[in-house]
Amino acid sequence: MAPQTLSTREANLFRTVIRYYEDKQYKRGLKAAEQILKKNPKHADTISMKALILNAQGKTEEAFALAKEALTIDMKSYICWHVYGILYRTNKNFDEAIKAYKFALKLEPDSHQIQRDLAVLQVQMRDYSGYVQSRFNMLKARPQLRQNWTALAIAYHLEGSLQQAENILTTYEKSITSTPLKTDLEHSEALLYKNSIIAEQGDIQRALEHLDTDCKNCLDRLAVMELRARYLAELGRKEEAAKAYRALLDRNPEFSDYYKGLVAALGIQEGDEESLSAVYAEYAAKYPRSDAAKRLPLDFLSGERFRAAAKAYLTLMFDKGVPSTFANLKHLYSDPFKKETLPALAEEYLSERDASDTEAQGNSDSSKGKGAALYFLAQHYNYYLSRDLAKATEFVEKAIELDPKNVDFHMTKARIFKHQGDLAKAAEQMDHARSLDTKDRYINSKAAKYQLRNNENEKALATLGLFTRAETPGGPLADLTDMQCIWFLTEDGEAWQRRGNVGLALKRYHTIFNIFDVWQEDQFDFHSFSLRKGQIRAYIDLIRWEDRLREHPFYSRAALDAVNLYLQMYDKPKGGANGVDGGEANGEDASERKKAAKKAKKEAQKAEREAAEKAAKQDPNKAQKSKDGEEPKKKDDDPNGAKLAATTDPLGDAMKFLGHLLQFSPKNIEAQIAGFEVFIRRKKYLLALRCLKASIALNKDHPKIPDQAARLRREVSGALDSLPPKAKEVIEAELAAVPGA
Amino acid sequence: MDIRLLRASDIPLIQHANLENLPENYFLKYYLYHALSWPQLSYVAVDVSRPPKTPYDHPKIVGYVLAKMEEEPADGVQHGHITSLSVMRTHRRLGIAEKLMRQSQLAMVETFGAHYVSLHVRVSNKAAIHLYRDTLGFKTEKTESKYYADGEDAYCMRLDLSFLREQLREAEEEQKEKNGTEGVDEGEPVGDVGRDPAAAKSSEPKIKVKVGRALGVGDLVEKVESKAS
Repeated sequence: MAPQTLSTREANLFRTVIRYYEDKQYKRGLKAAEQILKKNPKHADTISMKALILNAQGKTEEAFALAKEALTIDMKSYICWHVYGILYRTNKNFDEAIKAYKFALKLEPDSHQIQRDLAVLQVQMRDYSGYVQSRFNMLKARPQLRQNWTALAIAYHLEGSLQQAENILTTYEKSITSTPLKTDLEHSEALLYKNSIIAEQGDIQRALEHLDTDCKNCLDRLAVMELRARYLAELGRKEEAAKAYRALLDRNPEFSDYYKGLVAALGIQEGDEESLSAVYAEYAAKYPRSDAAKRLPLDFLSGERFRAAAKAYLTLMFDKGVPSTFANLKHLYSDPFKKETLPALAEEYLSERDASDTEAQGNSDSSKGKGAALYFLAQHYNYYLSRDLAKATEFVEKAIELDPKNVDFHMTKARIFKHQGDLAKAAEQMDHARSLDTKDRYINSKAAKYQLRNNENEKALATLGLFTRAETPGGPLADLTDMQCIWFLTEDGEAWQRRGNVGLALKRYHTIFNIFDVWQEDQFDFHSFSLRKGQIRAYIDLIRWEDRLREHPFYSRAALDAVNLYLQMYDKPKGGANGVDGGEANGEDASERKKAAKKAKKEAQKAEREAAEKAAKQDPNKAQKSKDGEEPKKKDDDPNGAKLAATTDPLGDAMKFLGHLLQFSPKNIEAQIAGFEVFIRRKKYLLALRCLKASIALNKDHPKIPDQAARLRREVSGALDSLPPKAKEVIEAELAAVPGA
Repeated sequence: MDIRLLRASDIPLIQHANLENLPENYFLKYYLYHALSWPQLSYVAVDVSRPPKTPYDHPKIVGYVLAKMEEEPADGVQHGHITSLSVMRTHRRLGIAEKLMRQSQLAMVETFGAHYVSLHVRVSNKAAIHLYRDTLGFKTEKTESKYYADGEDAYCMRLDLSFLREQLREAEEEQKEKNGTEGVDEGEPVGDVGRDPAAAKSSEPKIKVKVGRALGVGDLVEKVESKAS
């Protein structure tokens, strides 16, 4: 079918459609499009524009149908292809979007817009060679823009062509005719970016020279100073390096790396406590308010030197009442001498205090001095390397006696209960601590966390609700989800899982999974944004970080929870309805769980009802506040995870979490252990073997290894006929080397 | 505790610290927006002492300052703004907040030529007001009524950064004398320096960014929709 052409009037109208769309005036845009279509029902570009507007209004399916229709009418329209690509892009199908953009670009090679859209997607998808090509084309089209040069350099850099990246930046620099202003941030950052590329090529000498000449006026002073110190150190120019680190310490005497750099530059040997001390003592004297200069020596000092330094440090901290004193020192407990000495010093402090100021009490802050020492000892006896919970209780009670309203003291008391295994009392105690300072969200969060540990999901949510935004429809849960509150979602999910509510547990883990998807997509806008801002080093840092986003413990913890839950579901298919009652149900435990599950279901339903009522009561004007065309918030069609829990393929679902886990955290032994469990059930013996071997490499003494090895051997010999002989051979050979198999 | 510049990989735990400590929370993207617009200005206090349990452990963030430059200052004067600052309750009395602030202020002047830095603080937050006014020297400009979502008022405070500008100038003079070179350019920032030209040209209505609440970066930053033309 031949595409229709528009009259002048309608061609004008078509342009207004585009403008309306750009201005987000979707209703008007649609009206104008309809006007064109009335006379030209087969005008493909207008149909495409209509699709685009509908898509922006959230009517995805309708939009796709129309866009396809437009393409069947006019396969040769770049607008139709571009729109098709945009639809895919907004619906996160980036691969298809790239294909559509490429078609569009073939039809209209000079379109800057399409080229730009394609480029952004290519870098988002890490198609670096494609990105280089796109940025090359864009530079050719507009070489007068510095951004285009920088962008091509970035493309080469990410692709790994460092030399080319540097060349591009140099070529642009040479073309600059007037000296840039000293305050030209884009220029300053481009120079430092180039410097980082030189260093990345390993040519530190040249990097230093470039830094000292081209970058000496760069606006990011700290970066210049840090790079200089690092380069000098790497080049072995010790005297200058020491000077550079001293300059950094004068700027910030709280960064341990600077001290390490200085010590190395001074050539002080590791065990030379006296020389090391002298360095730190110098800065402790120069910057009396620096904590690092006083605390860091405790790491390397030993014997009497340690004792003296620790005594001085503890005295100062106790006098000031610094609550983190124990937290800041507990890493020293790996040394038995230090583990003995620190509490002894605290006791000493207490007895000296008792002797000196029994009369001088009065109105002083009782969290300082004696209270602080008692608090330190309570934490000492509560710590796993020095645990004596009876003594911990004794000290915390003494501290509380001294300062009955001290939140920190009560918090530690709650922790002691937790370690005694009394989660109910711990939660109660933490909530008491909360009540002592209701304006502090930190203690509020802790109280909620302890309630969750005690499986009190509803109570915890109510506690958190004291600080979440009251206006959010859907209440505290919706606000915490919106705000990507991972800790809560994880703890809440784990508590539901303990209570046997598989649905809600899975729901929370999937929510976390989705948040990580969002975090990955968050980088999208910055591919072009950062070019305009010119902060290229920060952009590269972002890209590198996003590449390993899911190695974050936030992800691995939730993913492991989910995988293990799916394994349980596979092993013991549930009887109950609604996803409630999973887990290992037997006997009394089972009825207990059922009861809990029933209660949980009721409560969840109640919460849902209340949320719905609350939403209904909202001011209708406010509820409709979302402007014409703004994406309407999608309604969750599975708020309680019933659909998730009803899965018939728990192992398949587990793979969604496991894949990323093994890809990004291969050195996490729990991930490998869980991977084995999934693969052996799926009869993927080679993959199971791979996990097992990885576990052994990480820790051959892990208690689960012998069992896994024995099971794999059993399974493989049972699967004799179904396995290809080659695979069986490999597995058996490998297993022979595994202990316990 | 190390005090150092924020890195992208710190951001999930900065967001975590913010959610634990304060009622004003933001999407991760809003932190990214700061980290990618003014990477020199935001600092963290991290606990690096505990040995990592896996190679993927991230150091615990016990305090942070999230700072920015005002994109289009109403008074036309380049200045910084503190979006969020908090220190874990367990790590107070070590002067962490003050140290974070001082690092940020210095970078505001050095990198962006800031003349002053502004912030909002709850009128009931005595500890924070003490830090800003008595320790750092901020002055209260005015009270903004019902600034926070829960209806509480905020003090608008600001600190003149002339003293840092002066220090910097002196240091530069000294350097020049030492090197015997002459200054290339001593001009004040002009034109679009430090600003985003595209944003300035944009015809979109200005969006008021409230510290009290997160907006998506999409709203804050730019129009990302492609134009099909």
